Amino acid sequence: MITVSRMLNRGRSRAERVRAWLVAAGAAVATFLVCTAVRLADFEDEGGSLTGLALALLAVPVAGLVHQANRLASATRERRLAALRLAGAAPGDVRWLGALEGGVLALVGSSGGGVIYVLTHLSGPLLPVPVVVALVTLGGGVSGARAGRHVVASPLGVVRRARVRGPRVRDLILFGAGVGLFVLGAVVKGGFPFVGKYGSGVVMAAGLVLLLFGVTLAATWVVRACARRVGRRARLAEALLAARLVEADPRAWARALSVVSLTVFFGAMAGAQQAMVGYWQAHALVDVALLVALVTSAVALVVHQAEELIDLRRSFSALAASGVPESSLSGVLVRQAVIAASPVCVVAAVSGVAVVVVTTLDVYQVQWLGWAAGRAVVMAGVGVLAAVLVALAARPLLRGALSTDVRA
Amino acid sequence: MLEGRGLGKSFGRTRALDDVSLTISEGEVVAVTGPSGAGKSTLLHCLAGVVRPEAGEVLLDGRRIDSLPEPESTKVRRESFGVVFQFGELVPELTAVENVALPLLFSRRGRQEAMTAAAEWLARLEVSDCADQRIGELSGGQRQRVAVARALVTGPRVVFADEPTGALDTIGGEQVMSALISAARAGRAAVVLVTHDNRVAAYADREVALRDGSVLAGVQR
Amino acid sequence: MTTGHVLLGFLVERAKHGYELKKEHDHRLAGAKPLAYGQVYATLQRLERDGLAEVAETQQEGGPERTLYAITADGKAELERWLNAVEPSAPFVASPLFARVAVAGKDADGFLVLQREAHLARMRELTAEKASGSPAQVLAADYALHHLDADLRWIETALARMKEHDDA
Repeated sequence: MITVSRMLNRGRSRAERVRAWLVAAGAAVATFLVCTAVRLADFEDEGGSLTGLALALLAVPVAGLVHQANRLASATRERRLAALRLAGAAPGDVRWLGALEGGVLALVGSSGGGVIYVLTHLSGPLLPVPVVVALVTLGGGVSGARAGRHVVASPLGVVRRARVRGPRVRDLILFGAGVGLFVLGAVVKGGFPFVGKYGSGVVMAAGLVLLLFGVTLAATWVVRACARRVGRRARLAEALLAARLVEADPRAWARALSVVSLTVFFGAMAGAQQAMVGYWQAHALVDVALLVALVTSAVALVVHQAEELIDLRRSFSALAASGVPESSLSGVLVRQAVIAASPVCVVAAVSGVAVVVVTTLDVYQVQWLGWAAGRAVVMAGVGVLAAVLVALAARPLLRGALSTDVRA
Repeated sequence: MLEGRGLGKSFGRTRALDDVSLTISEGEVVAVTGPSGAGKSTLLHCLAGVVRPEAGEVLLDGRRIDSLPEPESTKVRRESFGVVFQFGELVPELTAVENVALPLLFSRRGRQEAMTAAAEWLARLEVSDCADQRIGELSGGQRQRVAVARALVTGPRVVFADEPTGALDTIGGEQVMSALISAARAGRAAVVLVTHDNRVAAYADREVALRDGSVLAGVQR
Repeated sequence: MTTGHVLLGFLVERAKHGYELKKEHDHRLAGAKPLAYGQVYATLQRLERDGLAEVAETQQEGGPERTLYAITADGKAELERWLNAVEPSAPFVASPLFARVAVAGKDADGFLVLQREAHLARMRELTAEKASGSPAQVLAADYALHHLDADLRWIETALARMKEHDDA
């Protein structure tokens, strides 16, 4: 199996090398963030652990990016995996190959991140580092195994567009469990029977992660509902096309936007919190972390945009051939970004504020809401803007996809 | 009406098209035939303004269109030409009627008007039943007829069809061809038909046979 | 004796007289050469002689005498045999087109280009006829089109092979 993996590695395309770099870099950043968070949480200081919690949670968007990156160049990869299946590879073999590829990349990346952390924190406790590296590697492997699962199912006629799936009950359970854990942690506070005084923090963090996964999955539904509405009323060809494209594949958008929505969510949450308590230094750190997350979100969007353009190439170049100007097609991309990003960002911003306000309802003062709402609006705006900018930046990519001179 | 003069084009070291000239009159159906690699598609792309020829010129009603800047060229394509490809190249995320309405919407026609016109064209090509189905749910023949409707909905002067029946069986191909030809004749549109299938070429008024990038001697008149 | 079998096939439905059979032949086998009256009657007499058909009735209504023919049990058996017989694949190529190229060799390419034009012109006529023809005519036109297409493809291949030899 390792031989096959190495054979495949030698024939990799440029897009696949980009994917390898992204996965490794993402794993490195995630490792570094989590290690730092663990160290901060060790301090006997509530401000420190608050920051640590925020940093640890930021590892979630980074992990999301790694997963997203694992899907880059999926068209090439899916074709290759399908060929492997036809050549006699069992579904398990293909999954193994994916896991091997993802795992090795994650191992390389997280080792790098771990090394950087150790070099910058020589004095600190180094015990958590290998644990974190192992966890990130495992995550990379699982993500890699899952990336090719459509192909694993059907060697012939690779499923290019999986059927649109509405939100399932499972998503709601995740959502509910998340809210439950978070509220439980907030209510019980210090009196937890395990992990000492950090018990409530751990439970709240776990609740948040679940909540966010639930929100991301539910985003599929929100995106599709919004796209359907726009599609029904669209008067312009660009809007109609954009809405239908989003409607046909809301999961891809929800996945790409999950990192964006997490950033907006944390931004809004941090804003609501900053209005309340004054750990200024910690808050500044959180804001810096948010900036990092924003960059991460942009990368995730670029990855998605590139992936999408590969899919759209044929129908778009046919449209261009029949006289649709490139600017209109670029307009389709921008409108898609607005249609998909707006609902997701708004929901993320509102729930970010709501989480803070609801859990601290007893002490939250009305005048703090102004600052919180302002931050939420800014964060939602930033999220949509990021999506639109990425769509605009994709113009050269679009031009490349449309250039007919390459095909004889 | 549409004229190519001394057209030439190379891809790398391959000479795809070498000094090819032809004239297409109003409402005429011309088949461009030849074995694969003879330069059929390249000739069609040059005439349709999708690819710029390296040598020669393309004229529409006596006006040069091969050297127009991209926005102008796009406008000519949108207003005067329609295209049908081998696999239709419809947008799979849209329904059949939306696909047909698309060129009109891009020409800034109102939604209601565009949808009505699109539905009429689907009816004319006998595919009204699938108006609200997505492209993935249609058979190959239905797809091609939807593609023909999309090419003709703007009332073009010339329809370019590149192996429109390439992926279909005999009967399916025949239905698409008769639909294309009768619809084009009804709309007084000329058709440039690229094909390697003689039975498809037989739908044309005349043939331009290509061999290795040049017009086969003795066939063109 | 294909014409005989065709006429037997038309008689299965009911007894018919010669004129009726000629009309039916020309309609259902559109594209084939029309049958002459003399041939119809000669064929019917031969069928009668072989016991495959028999005279069912002789009518005389003012005009000339009309003989109705009916199929016999032997005739039905013979028809059944013929319908299910596999047509032998032609063991030899017997076509003036092929013969000409075989004799002319490489010099045939000029002729082939002209022949191609002639074939394609006929295919255009047939395709146009199909648009307004009856189902029987469409069937016949399809048959002719496919055969002409086969010739054309062979001409293409022949032209390509000659070029290959020139290059070699």
